[in-house]
Amino acid sequence: MMAPDRPLRLVGAPHCHGGAAVPQLMLHSVMALLPVTLFAVAVFGLAALATIVVAMLACLLAERVCAPRSSLGDGTAMLTGLLLGLSLPPALPLWMVAVGGFVAVAVGKHLFGGLGGPAFHPVLVGRVFLQAAFPTAMAQAWVAPLAAGRATELPATSLALPFLAPALPYDGLSGATPLSALKAGEAGAPIADLWLGLVAGSVGETSALLLLLGGLYLAFRRVIDWRIPTALLGTVAVLSAVLHGLDGERYPAVASVLGSGGLMLGAWFFATDPGISPTTRRGAWVYGLLIGALVVVMRQFSGNAEGVVYALLLGSALTPHIDRWTRPRPLPEGVEP
Amino acid sequence: MFGVRAGFAGGIRLTPVARRATDGQVRQLPFAPLLRLPLRQHDGAAAVAAVRVGDEVLRGQLLARAEDERAVPLHAPATGRITRISAQPDPLLGTVGVIELAPLAGDTQEAIRGPAHDPDRHSAEALLEAIRQAGMVGLGGQASPTHLRLQRARARGVNALVINGIEGEPGLARVPALLDRHAADVLAGARCLARVLGVARGLLAVESPDEAVARVLLDAAGEGSMLSLHSLAPRYPQGAAELLLRTLSGRRLEGGITLVPDRSAVFSLATVAEIGRLLGDGLPMTDQLISLAGDGLREPGNYRVPLGTPVGFALAQAGLSAGPDRVLAGGPMRGQALGSLDRPIVKGATALTVVAGSNGGRLPQAGPCIRCGACVTVCPLNLHPAELGLLARKGEIAAMVNDWHLARCFECGCCDYVCPAHIPLAQWFRTAKGQWARAQAAAEVES
Repeated sequence: MMAPDRPLRLVGAPHCHGGAAVPQLMLHSVMALLPVTLFAVAVFGLAALATIVVAMLACLLAERVCAPRSSLGDGTAMLTGLLLGLSLPPALPLWMVAVGGFVAVAVGKHLFGGLGGPAFHPVLVGRVFLQAAFPTAMAQAWVAPLAAGRATELPATSLALPFLAPALPYDGLSGATPLSALKAGEAGAPIADLWLGLVAGSVGETSALLLLLGGLYLAFRRVIDWRIPTALLGTVAVLSAVLHGLDGERYPAVASVLGSGGLMLGAWFFATDPGISPTTRRGAWVYGLLIGALVVVMRQFSGNAEGVVYALLLGSALTPHIDRWTRPRPLPEGVEP
Repeated sequence: MFGVRAGFAGGIRLTPVARRATDGQVRQLPFAPLLRLPLRQHDGAAAVAAVRVGDEVLRGQLLARAEDERAVPLHAPATGRITRISAQPDPLLGTVGVIELAPLAGDTQEAIRGPAHDPDRHSAEALLEAIRQAGMVGLGGQASPTHLRLQRARARGVNALVINGIEGEPGLARVPALLDRHAADVLAGARCLARVLGVARGLLAVESPDEAVARVLLDAAGEGSMLSLHSLAPRYPQGAAELLLRTLSGRRLEGGITLVPDRSAVFSLATVAEIGRLLGDGLPMTDQLISLAGDGLREPGNYRVPLGTPVGFALAQAGLSAGPDRVLAGGPMRGQALGSLDRPIVKGATALTVVAGSNGGRLPQAGPCIRCGACVTVCPLNLHPAELGLLARKGEIAAMVNDWHLARCFECGCCDYVCPAHIPLAQWFRTAKGQWARAQAAAEVES
């Protein structure tokens, strides 16, 4: 009888795997964000590029410092950095971007137990921190799209030194995003510009179309659960249609609501983060629906122009409860077959 | 979406692999120099040796009597001499008495036969006893004595026989061989079981790659056959009897019967074919039809293997390449890794899978759970593997059992298969069940 050359390996079943892996999921997400990233650099120029690069470097550095064993290779810190860069105003002082990135990873991720632990999306934690700490900069560091000289020079605010920034004016910039204009009672941007992304806004949130395409890519690759963006955007669309129907002057049209602000980025790339969204299919519907409703309420009835970030934070706070409400019922036991 | 449906959600849909022409073939394995025959090869009780060391026995002769109601007799798989009878440890069966038999050179494989049984002439009771005396145990993966399952089904009262022709695991190919080479046996076995159960109708369930050959089998049965054919899209693990019944629930059978899970009895295609083969010729069970599979074999396929054949001998005949990484009793999803190739093939064995060294190397390291819910989506029993996994990591086994239905898990391995963090969930659940059983047993002793 043939004796094995080496001891047979004693491992538990199953002995095959479908091939899904965390780094690969992260890579797909990065790839899905690539078009919108390139578009942002084209439209907002060096400012956008610098914001994204600094955000990613800060996140990778924080990951290196905080993780007990090197987890730089799993791609999560890179994705966190990219998402943060895409969700910040382009002309935000770069030192603030770096602080945001560090807070996102060190506080938002590792203080909550690292990968899989956070109750809130780390990027949103970083962004909310910046919002609270530097409200003026966060509210005003916008850049007009396709501004002259964008490819060669950084806005003066980007290079502001830490804690000296308030002295610098932000008035060389576009001043307002379509959402803040709407809030102030002014006319919003044309719908085509909103969807194409030729408006002022955060680095990567302006082109709703490219974000939609990236999101669809992830849904088709089964990296994300399509139910979440479907429920979320569907709820926003339905509620906005009702409001617009009631008062067309006061409430914007559905296409305008769906195409503006961080909604597409939030619906496809933030809400679907596995760690903060429910684990069940039914839960995904409930979760998307809740966030969608919160987005409409906050945008239309609160003092803020944008409501996606807070809607996402509230939604993920409810995730454990949604998981409990929608806990799968085991198949009932039958008789012995 | 929110309603209770027939069937089950989840499972893994693999791209169906086209059947090869060789899948329908069965090769006969020669006798190994020494056959080792445990006295208990299945769930239930051990048989009692009826021979002594030095006895010469004929193929098919009784080696061990079934004295316990939960036992079946054991017969000689080859003509030869009994060389040893001793208690030996076995990783899967526990310590058990083993009869060792050295086959004579040049054995023609002719077996001594008992009286043949015919479902049209013999009573249900006579057939049931014949099934037991043939040493039949379930051949679909759960090796429990067939007569016990039949008795329970009779007591319960059933109106339909379900023949489970779904390959237990991906990568195996017993079903086409049984449908093709043992078509007459399948039909005879079905009639026999129908007679024992007192049912008039049954169905044969297969997956779509095997539909054509199953159709040929049923056409051969002619008009008015008791069986109807139901083909399902391939999905693992729908071959698990409980899930299969849920899937088939409500299907119409010939004769106006609607399939109701509680009133159906499921038997694997292999069991039905073996009953037909043995009873028709008055033979006892002396060998197993086994799928030898995996990338570590040069000639994978179906082999008829005498009971007691060492695993290593069988694999060598199928072209075992040197230095396999793993040898599995069973298939790639649920097979148990064997530590030694000396283990004998026992009743109820379905497959041996050899994983070559090439894709061995280091196993991917388990990462933290990212709570993606892929395991929840795929669990065919609607359990929550992610939550069970978190509890297992914390050692909270009581919560796993009492709050999250650990006992319902039958370790199909789907959760592992889809986990992007490579967490060995099924292994953890197996370990937790073992610990729970030991804790319960200890508590019982104390009270």
